[in-house]
Amino acid sequence: MTGLQILIDGFAISALYALAAVGFTLIFGVSGFLNLAPGGIMLVAALIGWWAAGTLGLGVYPGTLVGVLAGVATAYLTYFLVVRPIQRSRKIPREETEIFVLTGTLLWGIMIQGAMAFIFSDNPVTMRPLIGGVANIFGVRTPWNEIMIAALCWIVIGLLWLLINRTPVGKSMLAASINPRGLTLLGFDLSRIYLLVWSIYGVLAGGAGVLLASFLGVGTANAGQLTASAFSIVVLGGLGSVTGSLIAAFVVGYLETVTAYLINPTLRPIPALLLLVVVVYLRPQGLLGRR
Amino acid sequence: MIALAIVLVAAVLPLWLSAYVLGVLTVAYYFGVFSMAWDLLFGFAGEVNFGPTFLIGLGAYTAAILDNNGLPIPVCVLAGTIAAVIGGVLLAMPALRLRGPYFGLVTLVAVLLLQNAIVIFASVTGGEIGMTVPNLISIDARVNYWFALGFMAISAVILFGLSRSAIGLILQASGQDAIEAAALGFNVTKHKLAAFCISAFFSGLAGALLVLYMGAASVGTIVDISIGVQIIIGAVLGGRRTILGGALGAVFLIVASEFLRPLGQLNTFVVSAIALAVIIFFPGGMLGAVLRAGERE
Amino acid sequence: MFDVKKASARFGRRFFARSGAAAAALGLLALAASAPAAEPPIKIGVIGEASAVAGASITKAAQMAADDINAHGGVLGRQVEVVIYDDHSSAADAVRAFQRAADEDKVSAVVASYISEVALAIEPWSGRLKMPFITPGAASTDISKHVHDDYAQYKYTFHGWMTSAFIAQSICDFEHDMIVKDFHAKSTVVMSEDAAWTTPLDAQYLSCLPKAGLKVLDHIRFNPDTTDFTPIFNKIEGEHPDVITTGISHVGVQPTVQWHDQHVPIAMVGQSSQATTSTFWKDTNGNAEGVITASAAAPGVAITPTTVSFTEAYIKRFGDSPAYDGYTTYDDIHIIADAIKRAGGTDPDKMVDAMEKTNYVGTIGTVQFYGKSDEYTHAIKYGPGLVTGVVLQWQNGKQVTVWPRDKANAKIQFPTFIKSPHA
Repeated sequence: MTGLQILIDGFAISALYALAAVGFTLIFGVSGFLNLAPGGIMLVAALIGWWAAGTLGLGVYPGTLVGVLAGVATAYLTYFLVVRPIQRSRKIPREETEIFVLTGTLLWGIMIQGAMAFIFSDNPVTMRPLIGGVANIFGVRTPWNEIMIAALCWIVIGLLWLLINRTPVGKSMLAASINPRGLTLLGFDLSRIYLLVWSIYGVLAGGAGVLLASFLGVGTANAGQLTASAFSIVVLGGLGSVTGSLIAAFVVGYLETVTAYLINPTLRPIPALLLLVVVVYLRPQGLLGRR
Repeated sequence: MIALAIVLVAAVLPLWLSAYVLGVLTVAYYFGVFSMAWDLLFGFAGEVNFGPTFLIGLGAYTAAILDNNGLPIPVCVLAGTIAAVIGGVLLAMPALRLRGPYFGLVTLVAVLLLQNAIVIFASVTGGEIGMTVPNLISIDARVNYWFALGFMAISAVILFGLSRSAIGLILQASGQDAIEAAALGFNVTKHKLAAFCISAFFSGLAGALLVLYMGAASVGTIVDISIGVQIIIGAVLGGRRTILGGALGAVFLIVASEFLRPLGQLNTFVVSAIALAVIIFFPGGMLGAVLRAGERE
Repeated sequence: MFDVKKASARFGRRFFARSGAAAAALGLLALAASAPAAEPPIKIGVIGEASAVAGASITKAAQMAADDINAHGGVLGRQVEVVIYDDHSSAADAVRAFQRAADEDKVSAVVASYISEVALAIEPWSGRLKMPFITPGAASTDISKHVHDDYAQYKYTFHGWMTSAFIAQSICDFEHDMIVKDFHAKSTVVMSEDAAWTTPLDAQYLSCLPKAGLKVLDHIRFNPDTTDFTPIFNKIEGEHPDVITTGISHVGVQPTVQWHDQHVPIAMVGQSSQATTSTFWKDTNGNAEGVITASAAAPGVAITPTTVSFTEAYIKRFGDSPAYDGYTTYDDIHIIADAIKRAGGTDPDKMVDAMEKTNYVGTIGTVQFYGKSDEYTHAIKYGPGLVTGVVLQWQNGKQVTVWPRDKANAKIQFPTFIKSPHA
């Protein structure tokens, strides 16, 4: 019984993690830079979504949509205000650009957290479930919402896969991640590709934020932990590898769930962190990393 | 030198300023040491430490826990410093084998692990909300102020001296082009490890002293990533690779933050925004531009 | 007409000069006495947590209290000014705020926080800086135990809310009176956050719940950082208790929402600090339905003649009902003002003496403090006729009072997914 509960619970959490991580790894894959803003984007999406659904009275589905859009907007802001100026800056030596992007996005993340806390307070918010009520899966009482969330995540990931592997736009993204200079030589506009990647990132992270708010609740205090989790998963799976991130998301999701149920809910984040440390020492490129 | 003049002026300030302002400056001076220690590692050894608070936290919490158990203050401080150095070595040895973003990652993970450990062992550490420290260095604001100022001044002298010494130059070489430095026969890893230990020493020492001044320690004020960011920003603001710039930047940051206190929650927002702007538009920092001109070789 | 010449001739010039001077002096005195607020205001520092549900009530209620006192002429002819600080739920920040209040802003007393770790961090400083300090919301028994153990050092600290031990006792009394009697419950699981205030709370629970008629099947303490409560509820359900006895303050929204979403079929009863204010209903999207919590007071119930009018005024001004520490803060500010009046000034030692003799009818009941020889020195006295708190339940978006029976304005009702306890 507990086993089945763990299976279901873990699946839902992993799907959410996967959604957040895939966008993150895409950014790295295409632009070559890590950024520390995903927690902030998820937070904005969750809070704006809650506000739109409840305070503005738009209801759950439109509210969710508004939340995701807010996530995309934040992603754009992150790119245009922080990442792009640093990437293009001539005053920063090339070897240090990465560090500056990391520090800059870290600062940006803190700014978002501060602004959100000011507007919405630190209290966690929850989105009303997209579908109410509970289902009974072989004796395990599961909210329909949880099932729906997992399904949504997989649909989005599936769509993404289709986009990357079956459409010309997606293929140019893939090419850009392997050899950006080659692509420019062929006449492709890299900046348009970056814009696309950041849009996708916004949708994914924003979506993950809103869905997480619906499943567990999200507050400004969570933002840092969210970024840390997304980061760990992406590194575990291998920077730049979408499949790697997917697998890592499930490994981490299930590790956390099993720990919470069988050992102690308090120790939940520990095994994943330890695993990360081990992997970074033994195989720094992660499970399926390329760079 | 200008630096000496500044220190003398600072030493005289307590005659005019209120106890509270002195308190702010005292904390600022300790942060100055944090930033200088960080700059040694980054500016010279070229290693970005995203988790200076890992070392600081080790020093601070060790001292706090021992103080709660009644041990005399000098013992607590010593233990805190040693704990930080050990932590630094444990972190550095495997981490130095990694390249690029992975090193920064590991330092970040170290902070997360420490944070989680503190929260989990809340019965000993007070968890997220924090713990109190019964025996302080002193209650008198002036005594604390002069102590911190003196500590910062001495640390500055040592760290600056190191950066200008043979060791410092080797570190700089290793930081900017490790392969060439190795080709020239220098043991890059050994020197970076030394830099780590020195950075850890000062971080842990300052951390222990800070906690024994404030009388309270919590994740939010000692270990949190945002504190680490403040330290990094202080160093970058002041000027990378200048050591002294770190002290300047950190003090500036904390004083500015204090002025913006009436803004309440927006305080962090504004300070981060300013820091972000500086990073993008003036990556050289305040002292950076000035000193670099003289340093160019 | 008054002829000065003739008058001077009769009474002598000196007489006139003297009476002239006397008249002038009297005139000046009269002027001085009637000059409004020529004296500096009395400052009271208030440290709250603006972004926490319960912490926000502290600063709002303090402002209301100050305004009310000033509308009635102030204290000793001086206006009361509230100086507000935010400690961001951090003990270290709170200590700094306390130091600033004492050194920079020169307040005469400090009202601080609902978080026990914060109150405990401030306590030694109130002794070091000789600053009277009262906490309107923290609950740890250590706060008052320190005063008992080292009176000379800690006497400046007062505990302006029930200690955890009494909170737990009141909940045990409630459960005995209603959950056991009316609902025939026989067992419970204690579920609380791992924090300073719940250590004595749980200890009291474990001792008084069996006496109330409930067997304690398990005792769960979870990390206040927890976001996913599913494994915890799962574990509790597996043990089949009739009711869950809670001790939560730092968390509230997430466990309550998840409890509702997952249709956990066991009722939650106990202390849930966030559930004491009406913003909680909005934050949980109404999932608070059926949650039972102890509190200082509740809307619509007149514990004392001033309870209802305060609640209504607060709602009118701020839009939401006060959390439990809103009531206590309102009372505590008045208590400080009252003590200053009786002490004749703001000398810290005289204020402490005056506060010890407090016998004040506030919104939460009649407030008196325990003395030097009692176990919980300077804590609020617990008992009928003094302060007992109430137990309220969320029903249809409103907080109704269910206990004590003589103050109750509704009966306990549980949502349909709750299967135990069953009446």
